[in-house]
Amino acid sequence: MEILTAFAIGLTFALGLFQILRRNVIRAAIGLMLLTNAVNLFLLSAGAYTGKQAAYVGAVGIQSDALPQALVLTAVVIGLGVTAFVLAMLIVIVQRYKSCDSDEVRGLKR
Amino acid sequence: MSEPLLIFPIILVFAGALAAALCGTPALNRRLSASRLGWILSLFPLGAFVLLLQTVPDLRADMVFTWQVQWMPSIGLNASLYFDSLSALFALLITFIGTLVVIYAGQYFKGDKGTWRFFTYILLFMGAMLGLVMAGDVLTLFVFWEGTSITSFLLVAYKSKDEAARKGAFKALFITVGGGIALLVGLLFMAQVVGDTQFHAILSSGEALRDSRFYPIILVLIALGAFTKSAQFPFHFWLPDAMSAPTPASAYLHSATMVKAGIYLMARLNPVMGLTETWFWLLTVAGMITMLTGAVLALRKTDLKAVLAYSTICQLGILMMMIGQDMEISFKALIIGILAHALYKSALFLVVGIVDHETGTRDLRRLGGLGRSMPFTFAICALAGLSMAGLPPLFGFLAKETLLATAVHPTLPKVVGWVFTLSSVIAGALTLVISGRLVWDTFMGQPGDPDIRGHEAPPAMLIAPALPTVLSLVLGQFPGPKQEALLLANAAGAASGTEVKVSLALWTGLNVPLLLSVIAVSIGTVLFIYRRKVVAWIQALPVVITLNAFFQTFFTGVDTLAKAATRLQHGKLRFYLFTMLVAALGLIFLFDGFPPPINTASMTIPALSFEGELILLKILILFLVAGTALACVVLANDFFAILAFGGSGLGVAVLMAMEPAPDVALVQIVVDILVVIILVLALQQMPASRLQQAQEVAAKHHKTGLWRDALISIVFGIIVMCMTLAALLSRPRFSAVSPYYGETTKITGSKSIVGAILADFRAIDTLNEIVVFSIAGLGIYTLIWFAARKFTGSEPKMGEIGEPPGRTFSTHGIGGPKISPLIAILARVVLPLGMIIGMCELLYGHYQPGDGFSAGVIISIGIGFWYVVFGYHETRRRLAWLRPTALIGWGILMAILSGTAAMIINGSFFSIVDFGKLLGLPLPSAVHLSSSVLFEIAIMLSVVGSVTHMINTLGHPEEKDTLWRS
Repeated sequence: MEILTAFAIGLTFALGLFQILRRNVIRAAIGLMLLTNAVNLFLLSAGAYTGKQAAYVGAVGIQSDALPQALVLTAVVIGLGVTAFVLAMLIVIVQRYKSCDSDEVRGLKR
Repeated sequence: MSEPLLIFPIILVFAGALAAALCGTPALNRRLSASRLGWILSLFPLGAFVLLLQTVPDLRADMVFTWQVQWMPSIGLNASLYFDSLSALFALLITFIGTLVVIYAGQYFKGDKGTWRFFTYILLFMGAMLGLVMAGDVLTLFVFWEGTSITSFLLVAYKSKDEAARKGAFKALFITVGGGIALLVGLLFMAQVVGDTQFHAILSSGEALRDSRFYPIILVLIALGAFTKSAQFPFHFWLPDAMSAPTPASAYLHSATMVKAGIYLMARLNPVMGLTETWFWLLTVAGMITMLTGAVLALRKTDLKAVLAYSTICQLGILMMMIGQDMEISFKALIIGILAHALYKSALFLVVGIVDHETGTRDLRRLGGLGRSMPFTFAICALAGLSMAGLPPLFGFLAKETLLATAVHPTLPKVVGWVFTLSSVIAGALTLVISGRLVWDTFMGQPGDPDIRGHEAPPAMLIAPALPTVLSLVLGQFPGPKQEALLLANAAGAASGTEVKVSLALWTGLNVPLLLSVIAVSIGTVLFIYRRKVVAWIQALPVVITLNAFFQTFFTGVDTLAKAATRLQHGKLRFYLFTMLVAALGLIFLFDGFPPPINTASMTIPALSFEGELILLKILILFLVAGTALACVVLANDFFAILAFGGSGLGVAVLMAMEPAPDVALVQIVVDILVVIILVLALQQMPASRLQQAQEVAAKHHKTGLWRDALISIVFGIIVMCMTLAALLSRPRFSAVSPYYGETTKITGSKSIVGAILADFRAIDTLNEIVVFSIAGLGIYTLIWFAARKFTGSEPKMGEIGEPPGRTFSTHGIGGPKISPLIAILARVVLPLGMIIGMCELLYGHYQPGDGFSAGVIISIGIGFWYVVFGYHETRRRLAWLRPTALIGWGILMAILSGTAAMIINGSFFSIVDFGKLLGLPLPSAVHLSSSVLFEIAIMLSVVGSVTHMINTLGHPEEKDTLWRS
């Protein structure tokens, strides 16, 4: 079972990375979000226990690890902020360079 | 002994700097001329001088005033002051000469409206220098030490349009700050060995230091700091270049104060670090070479300031050499040398400034015969020069006598002793020649350039060099009140570690030092008579290679490397990412820092085990996550790709719920929905032609590029997969922190451990997170409104932004078609419903999944629905109360206030206070108006504000028109 989970997370990560390495900037933005999802899942899997119960006070049985959950919750929130900001930047970039091709974005070269 | 008054002189001088900066305001600047400014501002250092003078009668032999403030008491760091006779001597010199220099600078810069800048810098420097000599612990010392380096940079580069000034300033900064870093490390080592950062502890642990195996390291590092600061060979080359500073600054920094910082430090540490062989050889040899180098090089120069700079280097070498000795007399020589040098050298610098000011040149070859037109300047210069040459009846004579007395005393092997004596005599003779040239060739004889005509400087300008000169004369003539001798004796005692007797009588009878003095003077006189030949001969000597060459080469090299590195930049962003990834891969394999998760020896690959109740659901969801992610890449239509991404995100949420992590899953669901909305809105912002082009770009893949990217992604995917597998397979593991949180959550009154971690244990992190999120919202708003418009050329007026335009009622939605009444009603219901759900979730969040963030996002989704249904204008019109920026501000303010309120009640920021119970409010059961609930409400407010900004900006229809018009 674990190997399936790991495979799904690895595949999502690889797909996200692949998108970012491509030239289409819109797809790169979506790829970044896939990457975020994969990383969040990975962080969650870094929890120390195989939980049967949510991490609540007084829960009976093995609780899941609350610490990575708190971290991932923050990461999800920041991920939303990053996504929105990336999109705004994308709009400015596409408009500034008049292109959706990331190879055309070469303002640093000047 | 504790003395809070100690801080006042330092504060006073810094207050002066502030006053000087305030004089830069146009209103004051217009009213105050430079000279008046000088007079007014001189009151600050004068006040400090008087304050310091008050303490002198109280300073007995081993008396120390200390004062400290707690900084980080938990790790033993306090900012403190330490004030004894040695500090007092330096502090008095700093404030005395400082006062004169400020008055002088007012005259020097007469008519210059920008002088307030100079005064600010020099008073800042003065404050730092005072702090340095009064510092009571190593860190305070370091802070002020670097403070002097930085302010001296500003002073040297004062004439910033002059390239030489900039370069000289940079060189001085580079060398002294570099030495400062070595010093810091050395001081920290020392504090580590002693176990305390305070000087009073360090100064009583001499044996521990000398016996420590770190002693050589500490010594070398601290010496590096002191040698660079005090321009010792081979680091002396920055000082002549720093002469491009305005003369008042040179007179102050490079004679009396900054360059003495290293001397002060070594003298301060001598009782605990000194009296060892290493110490003796290091300081004596460095000092001796510096002394001779300075003396010889001074003769090569024809620029008066350069001559003075090198003669200062010579004198600094002498002082450093004195610290290295282990005899009583050498410390007498040290202290008298410091005082005498500060008095005559600052006077000479100021005189050179006058000459430069009145004639327009400092070149010895052009000057001469100024004595007739500038009699007072001449008199001052002659007296100061006599003191420098070490002739009676001036104070400098005593300095030279004590030096020579040290030179014949040493308990050294014969040969070394000889070198010591000989070099001291040579240095004495050369100093006489230097000072003779300075005085004679400037004021006597015929001018080298007949056009040079001087006229006497105003009295206000003369007073600055006159006072120290008169003081050298008076100190030499009248050994004066006991008080002074006692101060000097105590200072020398502090530097040597034992009692030192100091008498200021010039005449000590016929003895060997006097004989040596006569020899030195005779040689000097002969050399002076034949000075032209001597100078010509020395100038003909080959240039000695110094570190200067290395310095030049080093920076040329850095520049070349930087240029080469710039050429490597191709400017393609995704290839930068590619490079980083490949480098990361290389590092992983190079350092083998990545343990293989599947240890083939001890572990078999786990078989798929399908027990458990929800296993089929989990498999389904895993396929959903991976499959939709794949679809999101493969689908050509952007809109479908976004939907696929949304599906994948929901799958992730279900996986999270199965962890089980319900809080995270809830946030993931609402965030995923919001991301899809934002993506669609953003895509709408792009013109169709661009989207078309993006698709074409994606289609035009090079085969090789495709394979390359795929390969890199697959490798990283496998790495992530292995890491995840390793994490999952090693469950359950030991966790140091999680059980702690589980146990202590009960205290917070919360049931959800995750919620407790976020809102209570790590509340400040969460506050930061919310601030970051709010900045993202504000950033999008400003980015689109300002950055984007910059390129279209239409500048928005501030008032218009985000204001509801007040159009007539519109029944058309975002896409244009008429809004169905059903949807319109639904939208109206959804928003209040979202608010109710959000509030419930928030209030009961401590018992059930839910928190302020998801509450905020749920409400924002309701608002987003309005934007989609009614369009921008209508939404703005109807929801006029919705002011995103204000919401963000109120939210963050409320978060900070609730934390502060808890701090006032409980004594700790963001601690838990139940306000409901405290105020006796009737609340439903399970609802607690605790500080964490207030915090969650604050989070909700700022999230609503920030998300509204995002939707608002990305969904603005007119914005789209403006953006793409060009």
